[in-house]
Amino acid sequence: MATDIVLPVEPGTEAGEKRPPRRRSGLWIAAGFLAPALVLLGVLVAYPVIYSIWRSLYDASGQNFLGLGNYVTMFTDPGTFTAIKNNVIWVVVAPITCTILGLIFAVLMDKVKWAIAFKLIIFMPMAISMVAAGVIFRTTFQENPNLGAVNAGLVSISKAFSHQSAYPGARPRTQEGITQTGGDIATDSTVSPGAVQNFPLIAIKPADVPGSAKDAVVAKNPASDAIAGTVWLDFVRGGGGTNGEPGDGKKGLPGVKVEAVDSSGKVVGTATTADDGTYAISGLAKGSYTVTLPASNFAPPFNGVSWLGPQLVTAVIILSYVWIWAGFAMVMIASGLSAMDRSLQEAARMDGASEWKVFTRITAPLLSPVLIVVFVTLIINVLKIFDLVYVIPPPSSLPDATVIAVQMWTVSFGGGNNQGLGSALAVLLLILVLPSMIINVRRFREDRDR
Amino acid sequence: MALTQHRRLLASLAVIGSAALVLTGCSSGGGGGGGTSPSASSDTGSGAGSGTDLKGVTLNVASDWSGAEQKNFEAVLKKFSDDTGATVNYTSYGSDVATALNTKIQGGDPPDVAVIPQPGLLYSLAKAGSLIPLDSETLDAVKANYAKDWVDLGSYQGKTYGVWFKGANKSTVWYNTDVYDAAGATVPKTWDDFMKQLQTIADSGTYGISIGADAGWPLTDWFENVYLRTAGPEKYDKLSNHEIPWTDPSVAEALKVLAQLWGNKQVVQPGTAQRTFGDSVTAVFGDKPAAGTVYEGDFVAGNIASDTKSVVGKNALFYPFPSINGSGPAVVGGGNAAVQLKDNKGAAALMKYLASPEAATIWVKLGGFTSPNKKVNTADYPDEVSKQIAEDVVNAQTFRFDMSDLAPSAFGGTKGTGEWQILIDFFKNPSAVTGTQQKLEAAAAAAWGK
Amino acid sequence: MSVPGLTIVKGKTSGAARILQFLNHGLVNLVLAIVAIFWLVPTIGLFIASLRSSTDNSQSGWWDALTKPAQLTLDNYANLLSNSQFMGSFWNTIMITVPATVLVVVIGSLAGYAFSWLKFPGRDWLLLAVIVMLAVPVQLALIPIASLYGKIGLFGSIIGVILFHVAFGLPFAIFLLRNFFTQVPGELMEAARLDGASEWRIFSGVILPLGMPAIASLGIFQFLWVWNDMLVALIFTNATSQPVTVAIQSQLRQFGANIDVLSSGAFLSMIIPLIVFFAFQRYFVTALLAGSQR
Repeated sequence: MATDIVLPVEPGTEAGEKRPPRRRSGLWIAAGFLAPALVLLGVLVAYPVIYSIWRSLYDASGQNFLGLGNYVTMFTDPGTFTAIKNNVIWVVVAPITCTILGLIFAVLMDKVKWAIAFKLIIFMPMAISMVAAGVIFRTTFQENPNLGAVNAGLVSISKAFSHQSAYPGARPRTQEGITQTGGDIATDSTVSPGAVQNFPLIAIKPADVPGSAKDAVVAKNPASDAIAGTVWLDFVRGGGGTNGEPGDGKKGLPGVKVEAVDSSGKVVGTATTADDGTYAISGLAKGSYTVTLPASNFAPPFNGVSWLGPQLVTAVIILSYVWIWAGFAMVMIASGLSAMDRSLQEAARMDGASEWKVFTRITAPLLSPVLIVVFVTLIINVLKIFDLVYVIPPPSSLPDATVIAVQMWTVSFGGGNNQGLGSALAVLLLILVLPSMIINVRRFREDRDR
Repeated sequence: MALTQHRRLLASLAVIGSAALVLTGCSSGGGGGGGTSPSASSDTGSGAGSGTDLKGVTLNVASDWSGAEQKNFEAVLKKFSDDTGATVNYTSYGSDVATALNTKIQGGDPPDVAVIPQPGLLYSLAKAGSLIPLDSETLDAVKANYAKDWVDLGSYQGKTYGVWFKGANKSTVWYNTDVYDAAGATVPKTWDDFMKQLQTIADSGTYGISIGADAGWPLTDWFENVYLRTAGPEKYDKLSNHEIPWTDPSVAEALKVLAQLWGNKQVVQPGTAQRTFGDSVTAVFGDKPAAGTVYEGDFVAGNIASDTKSVVGKNALFYPFPSINGSGPAVVGGGNAAVQLKDNKGAAALMKYLASPEAATIWVKLGGFTSPNKKVNTADYPDEVSKQIAEDVVNAQTFRFDMSDLAPSAFGGTKGTGEWQILIDFFKNPSAVTGTQQKLEAAAAAAWGK
Repeated sequence: MSVPGLTIVKGKTSGAARILQFLNHGLVNLVLAIVAIFWLVPTIGLFIASLRSSTDNSQSGWWDALTKPAQLTLDNYANLLSNSQFMGSFWNTIMITVPATVLVVVIGSLAGYAFSWLKFPGRDWLLLAVIVMLAVPVQLALIPIASLYGKIGLFGSIIGVILFHVAFGLPFAIFLLRNFFTQVPGELMEAARLDGASEWRIFSGVILPLGMPAIASLGIFQFLWVWNDMLVALIFTNATSQPVTVAIQSQLRQFGANIDVLSSGAFLSMIIPLIVFFAFQRYFVTALLAGSQR
């Protein structure tokens, strides 16, 4: 197996001649290899950690010793618990999603000719800074369907497949004898056949009035078994006109459904307004009816989902994280795949094993070191996630999306200037990471000692 | 052989690495040292304002202005360097001025002069001893050129540190004349008339007003304007210093007035909690206005100019914030103060220059700027609208600084927490007046208590 | 490389099996194509947004430009490219990123080797400590290191930023490389030691070549993270040493929409990392061929 590599031989020694064990110089050699790393880590990483632990015992100004006071404050603040809860959601969802996607992509990528292009596409989000990625997702998931791509798509689909109401948002003036309840516009008192019932409405966008609408006219006197009336837009451009009366160029509203509802609540007659806004419901027996314009005439159109609202915002941020970091997982796993010896898999395939068996029995186990590195890195990365959670949510949703690193920032720098409390949060973060680290290092020790 | 290839790669990596280190060593000497202004400055003249010869002196100035504002401010600085021979470098800290400045001070490398947007920050810096008080000449100039309110705003414990270079009028209500004309609405002078006009606009099919409260700070400006008018300037001062609690009945009164507007779903465009301030301006002045009015400070003009096709002075006008219960004309304002962080002749000369009307006039002529300097000729403002805004500020009968900027930033200046967040919650639930007061008081006590 | 004789043995595939193969192949292509399109859409959206003016971006979404191509403009890019402070910051970014990447790779490899194949007391505890440092967020170090740098005069210098990035990149580097290096077969190492090679020779002659894919991955990630970092640079650099990310940040308007600046800045900033990735990923293939020669 090792025949193709020419091993370097110490000059002055014949191959095979044993040299005396170099125990003492072994330590020096190790030190030599480790020194630059340990110095940098000690000064720039370990020292701030110790500083933070010390600092967390003092108050905001750094002068007064608080003991564990900051920790008490931290744990009694509901914001901390929201942050911890969100971090847990992140840890459970994000790393596994990224790793699985990365694995699938890396394995499938091998089988297509355009692997390099695919790699570039999936990896590109990692080349974009976190801030830019945050901005992309913030604007894509924006609530306003004119600006946010996702809602724009949803609204178009809804427009294509569902009936849009004719006059969304319309309502009557107050004290006209008609009231809007639960979307329906109904008469306050009952009407008998042979009477005229009008519906002057306002709050309709001029653009919503169809071109076919004519000027509103008073309805002709109805027959003795009918109720008639006019529905019109009771507003003159620039103000003016008399409220409640047609004329002055006020337009009738065509296509409005009108219902006559009897005292038991049953709809006994319907009509639809004509181009000049008039309607007539005929064939009504004697009695009292409530004339109603049902809510379906005025229902507000579907305006998209509130993606960045308090309920869904964490899901959106996690999505953006996966968009960026699945590329990381894919590249790492791909490089693990490339370093793998393929002959084992080839042999298995020749033996007739299916692709799935080859994958689960051979590829995946051989990849497990890489998978573990990816998974652990992602877990730790996710525990200290900051940029995306800070940039994507609108500040009104931030308290629901917050994570520990964001709390730390807000408390220490974002005006709080309470570095004592901020340091306590940082210590909490470190404590949360330890369990996953210890488990994994133990696994390595077992691997090595095998 | 593969191995020698790798050896060569390693060798080249090592060369690049060491070359890079050497190069950075050379450049960092220049980069690190060139920032500070040398103490041995060659000034031959006396400290007589722009007549001082500051040849060879380099000054660093920092602020939160970028883009167009940065260009305009650099024009102001250019005159100073032309007159004195000094080199002035401007850096923008983006919106995190407090953090950036605090860390630079900690690191021992602050700018010579910084222009900061919050008096609260000025007081905390002065308290920490990071600021140099104005020298006698500059102090005289400030006292002569500015109203007493402004001088006091820049002072801490008897010493004056700040020159209020830029002012802002936060009592301007901007409206789209096209929408108002179509609805037949007129410019209101009182709050009741204001509500009536907004209702008229809503009846015409366009929402009366758009509010962009995703960050929360626009809501604090609403509160301050209402409170100044309902409670009066003396109570305003007391509340600003937390001498009366937020549970005071005067606060309840102001919150109830706000609830009248904020709870009116017919008049206020929906989606406020996730709308950015910029989007609320576009909603009123964009191609298809969805609302007729937007309230915020004079910087709205800048948004209109860069984000929409409406023209300030043509279809984009403003009226002063309406009076409530017969209150007199009052202006809530803001501003940016120049402070000196390093003790040298160049910085002192720059401070004196910034206090002069000449410096302010340069930017006044370029537009998008209001100067609180009494000596600036208001005829120099480029259009009627900016002139009116400036005159409102300089001549205001009652002028008070933005309360949330006077408060510790943990309470009045941070997204996701404090006043900003509590008012967003109140907006979503305007009937919870008492509960909101209690939350505000708790947050204020925590922020002031430190 | 291949076992002689095996390649001849290839059974005849039936028609059905061939169709299945084709479908399988076609299905994979289809799935990956759909994934690729979804992955690209957000970036394309940002790119189109960078070609529209601030006014247009405030009124409508980027897809509007697909039907109204008159909206497209190069103004945003022109503004940035003509800004000398912005262009100067590109050079600073290179000056920061390249040394930071090279140093992390070099120092990380040395330490990774020590942790994987050298025996010394307390090795596992030290490794655990290093891995725990993976969790330290950068914000934690800002204030203490700022005052430390201030005392030793490194504040505002490029070297200070480089060292900071190297230190924070080392835990991941050591973690990754140590894992990769332990993959090297134990027999190989024993044989090398028995033959009397020094540790340095083993490191440079055996470990490094075999670990090249991991080292190349590490290099790419470190390059990207340092290139795109904004926070550390904002605090630790000044006007003359600031990199591109800080320069973009300083262009943002306080109250206005900033998509035009952010998007064009993001794309200009992205070009070099993408070139680096493209160049390096070809090196993976070479490493594959070299490393598999056993």
